[in-house]
Amino acid sequence: MMKKITDERLVLKNLKNIRLAFVVQSVGIIGILLHDALANGIASMTHQPLWLVFMITAIVLGYSQMSISIDHENPSKQIKPSSFYKGLSVILGINFVIGLLVYLSPESSLKDSIAIGIALFLCMLAPYSYIHYLRKKKLEDEEDE
Amino acid sequence: MDNNVKVARIQANLTQQQLAEKTGVTRQTISLIEKGKYNPTLKLCLEICYAVNKTLDELFWVERESENDEKNY
Repeated sequence: MMKKITDERLVLKNLKNIRLAFVVQSVGIIGILLHDALANGIASMTHQPLWLVFMITAIVLGYSQMSISIDHENPSKQIKPSSFYKGLSVILGINFVIGLLVYLSPESSLKDSIAIGIALFLCMLAPYSYIHYLRKKKLEDEEDE
Repeated sequence: MDNNVKVARIQANLTQQQLAEKTGVTRQTISLIEKGKYNPTLKLCLEICYAVNKTLDELFWVERESENDEKNY
Protein backbone atom coordinates (compact mmCIF):
# COMPACT_ATOMS: atom_id res chain seq x y z
CA MET A 1 0.00 0.00 0.00
CA MET A 2 1.31 3.48 -0.88
CA LYS A 3 2.50 5.58 2.05
CA LYS A 4 1.32 9.18 2.27
CA ILE A 5 4.14 11.56 1.34
CA THR A 6 5.04 13.74 4.31
CA ASP A 7 8.45 15.00 3.18
CA GLU A 8 7.93 18.67 2.17
CA ARG A 9 10.50 18.49 -0.62
CA LEU A 10 8.75 15.50 -2.17
CA VAL A 11 5.34 17.14 -1.73
CA LEU A 12 6.62 20.16 -3.70
CA LYS A 13 8.15 17.89 -6.34
CA ASN A 14 4.84 16.03 -6.58
CA LEU A 15 2.97 19.31 -7.14
CA LYS A 16 5.44 20.30 -9.89
CA ASN A 17 4.87 16.90 -11.56
CA ILE A 18 1.11 17.35 -11.36
CA ARG A 19 1.46 20.82 -12.89
CA LEU A 20 3.50 19.39 -15.77
CA ALA A 21 0.92 16.64 -16.32
CA PHE A 22 -1.86 19.27 -16.28
CA VAL A 23 -0.08 21.33 -18.94
CA VAL A 24 0.41 18.26 -21.16
CA GLN A 25 -3.23 17.25 -20.68
CA SER A 26 -4.48 20.76 -21.45
CA VAL A 27 -2.40 20.98 -24.62
CA GLY A 28 -3.85 17.63 -25.66
CA ILE A 29 -7.44 18.72 -24.98
CA ILE A 30 -6.96 22.01 -26.84
CA GLY A 31 -5.38 20.12 -29.73
CA ILE A 32 -8.32 17.71 -29.98
CA LEU A 33 -10.87 20.53 -29.78
CA LEU A 34 -9.06 22.60 -32.41
CA HIS A 35 -8.81 19.60 -34.70
CA ASP A 36 -12.53 18.95 -34.31
CA ALA A 37 -13.30 22.63 -34.97
CA LEU A 38 -11.20 22.68 -38.12
CA ALA A 39 -12.53 19.36 -39.41
CA ASN A 40 -16.22 19.64 -38.47
CA GLY A 41 -16.86 23.24 -37.46
CA ILE A 42 -17.24 25.19 -34.22
CA ALA A 43 -20.69 23.72 -33.50
CA SER A 44 -19.25 20.21 -33.48
CA MET A 45 -16.46 21.31 -31.16
CA THR A 46 -18.81 22.84 -28.62
CA HIS A 47 -21.04 19.74 -28.64
CA GLN A 48 -18.18 17.50 -27.56
CA PRO A 49 -18.10 16.46 -23.88
CA LEU A 50 -14.42 17.43 -23.94
CA TRP A 51 -15.54 21.03 -24.44
CA LEU A 52 -17.45 20.88 -21.17
CA VAL A 53 -14.39 19.48 -19.39
CA PHE A 54 -12.26 22.26 -20.86
CA MET A 55 -14.73 24.98 -19.85
CA ILE A 56 -15.11 23.67 -16.28
CA THR A 57 -11.33 23.41 -15.91
CA ALA A 58 -10.86 26.96 -17.23
CA ILE A 59 -13.49 28.33 -14.83
CA VAL A 60 -11.99 26.52 -11.82
CA LEU A 61 -8.49 27.73 -12.78
CA GLY A 62 -9.76 31.27 -13.30
CA TYR A 63 -11.44 31.44 -9.91
CA SER A 64 -8.46 29.93 -8.08
CA GLN A 65 -6.09 32.35 -9.84
CA MET A 66 -8.18 35.32 -8.70
CA SER A 67 -6.88 35.12 -5.14
CA ILE A 68 -3.31 35.15 -6.49
CA SER A 69 -4.05 38.17 -8.70
CA ILE A 70 -5.51 40.07 -5.75
CA ASP A 71 -2.44 39.34 -3.61
CA HIS A 72 -0.17 40.21 -6.49
CA GLU A 73 -1.74 43.66 -7.03
CA ASN A 74 0.62 46.60 -6.67
CA PRO A 75 0.38 47.64 -2.98
CA SER A 76 1.02 51.30 -3.86
CA LYS A 77 -2.06 51.24 -6.06
CA GLN A 78 -4.27 50.53 -2.97
CA ILE A 79 -7.59 49.75 -4.60
CA LYS A 80 -10.12 50.31 -1.85
CA PRO A 81 -13.10 48.04 -2.42
CA SER A 82 -15.94 50.35 -3.25
CA SER A 83 -19.45 49.64 -2.07
CA PHE A 84 -20.62 46.27 -3.30
CA TYR A 85 -23.92 47.76 -4.45
CA LYS A 86 -22.19 50.37 -6.60
CA GLY A 87 -20.52 47.64 -8.66
CA LEU A 88 -23.72 45.63 -8.63
CA SER A 89 -25.65 48.54 -10.15
CA VAL A 90 -23.00 48.86 -12.90
CA ILE A 91 -23.39 45.15 -13.69
CA LEU A 92 -27.17 45.51 -13.71
CA GLY A 93 -26.87 48.48 -16.07
CA ILE A 94 -24.62 46.57 -18.47
CA ASN A 95 -26.94 43.58 -18.47
CA PHE A 96 -29.99 45.77 -19.01
CA VAL A 97 -28.33 47.30 -22.08
CA ILE A 98 -27.38 43.87 -23.43
CA GLY A 99 -30.90 42.57 -22.77
CA LEU A 100 -32.33 45.58 -24.57
CA LEU A 101 -30.05 45.04 -27.57
CA VAL A 102 -31.10 41.38 -27.75
CA TYR A 103 -34.78 42.41 -27.55
CA LEU A 104 -34.34 44.95 -30.35
CA SER A 105 -32.59 42.44 -32.59
CA PRO A 106 -34.73 40.53 -35.10
CA GLU A 107 -36.01 37.03 -34.23
CA SER A 108 -35.61 37.65 -30.50
CA SER A 109 -38.51 37.77 -28.08
CA LEU A 110 -38.83 39.44 -24.67
CA LYS A 111 -38.41 36.02 -23.09
CA ASP A 112 -35.06 35.53 -24.87
CA SER A 113 -33.73 38.93 -23.82
CA ILE A 114 -34.75 38.41 -20.18
CA ALA A 115 -33.19 34.93 -20.14
CA ILE A 116 -29.93 36.20 -21.64
CA GLY A 117 -29.89 39.21 -19.31
CA ILE A 118 -30.36 37.05 -16.21
CA ALA A 119 -27.78 34.49 -17.36
CA LEU A 120 -25.19 37.17 -18.06
CA PHE A 121 -25.98 38.89 -14.76
CA LEU A 122 -25.34 35.68 -12.83
CA CYS A 123 -22.14 35.04 -14.80
CA MET A 124 -20.86 38.53 -13.93
CA LEU A 125 -22.13 38.52 -10.35
CA ALA A 126 -20.18 35.42 -9.27
CA PRO A 127 -16.65 36.65 -10.13
CA TYR A 128 -17.43 40.21 -9.06
CA SER A 129 -18.68 39.03 -5.65
CA TYR A 130 -15.66 36.78 -5.22
CA ILE A 131 -13.16 39.52 -6.14
CA HIS A 132 -14.93 41.97 -3.82
CA TYR A 133 -14.75 39.43 -0.99
CA LEU A 134 -11.02 38.79 -1.61
CA ARG A 135 -10.17 42.53 -1.75
CA LYS A 136 -12.15 43.20 1.43
CA LYS A 137 -10.42 40.28 3.20
CA LYS A 138 -7.00 41.55 2.07
CA LEU A 139 -7.80 45.04 3.38
CA GLU A 140 -8.95 43.62 6.72
CA ASP A 141 -5.74 41.56 6.99
CA GLU A 142 -3.65 44.66 6.32
CA GLU A 143 -5.58 46.68 8.88
CA ASP A 144 -4.94 43.98 11.47
CA GLU A 145 -1.13 44.39 11.17
CA MET B 1 22.42 28.23 1.07
CA ASP B 2 25.17 27.18 3.47
CA ASN B 3 24.31 25.94 6.92
CA ASN B 4 25.77 24.05 9.87
CA VAL B 5 23.33 21.16 9.89
CA LYS B 6 25.95 18.50 9.14
CA VAL B 7 28.25 19.60 11.94
CA ALA B 8 25.39 19.80 14.41
CA ARG B 9 24.08 16.40 13.35
CA ILE B 10 27.48 14.77 13.89
CA GLN B 11 27.81 16.48 17.27
CA ALA B 12 24.42 15.03 18.20
CA ASN B 13 25.63 11.56 17.13
CA LEU B 14 22.94 11.14 14.53
CA THR B 15 23.11 9.65 11.08
CA GLN B 16 21.30 11.33 8.23
CA GLN B 17 18.68 8.57 8.37
CA GLN B 18 18.12 9.08 12.09
CA LEU B 19 17.79 12.83 11.70
CA ALA B 20 15.41 12.28 8.79
CA GLU B 21 13.20 10.02 10.89
CA LYS B 22 13.19 12.49 13.79
CA THR B 23 12.17 15.38 11.51
CA GLY B 24 9.68 13.49 9.33
CA VAL B 25 11.52 13.78 6.02
CA THR B 26 13.59 11.46 3.83
CA ARG B 27 17.33 10.90 4.16
CA GLN B 28 17.79 12.46 0.72
CA THR B 29 16.19 15.69 1.92
CA ILE B 30 18.58 15.87 4.89
CA SER B 31 21.49 15.26 2.53
CA LEU B 32 20.34 18.04 0.18
CA ILE B 33 19.86 20.44 3.10
CA GLU B 34 23.38 19.72 4.37
CA LYS B 35 24.81 20.33 0.91
CA GLY B 36 22.90 23.60 0.68
CA LYS B 37 20.95 22.41 -2.35
CA TYR B 38 17.51 22.51 -0.73
CA ASN B 39 16.15 25.33 1.46
CA PRO B 40 13.85 23.90 4.12
CA THR B 41 10.74 25.68 5.34
CA LEU B 42 10.87 27.38 8.72
CA LYS B 43 8.90 24.49 10.20
CA LEU B 44 11.48 21.95 9.05
CA CYS B 45 14.33 24.23 10.18
CA LEU B 46 12.81 24.26 13.66
CA GLU B 47 12.32 20.49 13.66
CA ILE B 48 16.00 20.06 12.80
CA CYS B 49 16.95 22.47 15.58
CA TYR B 50 14.90 20.49 18.12
CA ALA B 51 16.40 17.21 16.93
CA VAL B 52 20.03 18.36 17.26
CA ASN B 53 19.39 20.63 20.24
CA LYS B 54 20.64 23.84 18.63
CA THR B 55 19.11 27.23 17.87
CA LEU B 56 18.12 28.55 14.44
CA ASP B 57 20.98 31.03 14.60
CA GLU B 58 23.54 28.34 15.28
CA LEU B 59 22.38 26.19 12.39
CA PHE B 60 21.19 28.56 9.70
CA TRP B 61 22.50 32.09 10.26
CA VAL B 62 24.60 33.41 7.39
CA GLU B 63 26.28 36.81 7.39
CA ARG B 64 25.03 39.09 4.62
CA GLU B 65 28.51 39.63 3.12
CA SER B 66 29.16 35.90 2.82
CA GLU B 67 25.73 35.45 1.21
CA ASN B 68 26.58 38.12 -1.38
CA ASP B 69 29.95 36.46 -2.02
CA GLU B 70 28.10 33.21 -2.82
CA LYS B 71 25.87 35.02 -5.29
CA ASN B 72 28.82 36.69 -7.03
CA TYR B 73 30.58 33.32 -7.29
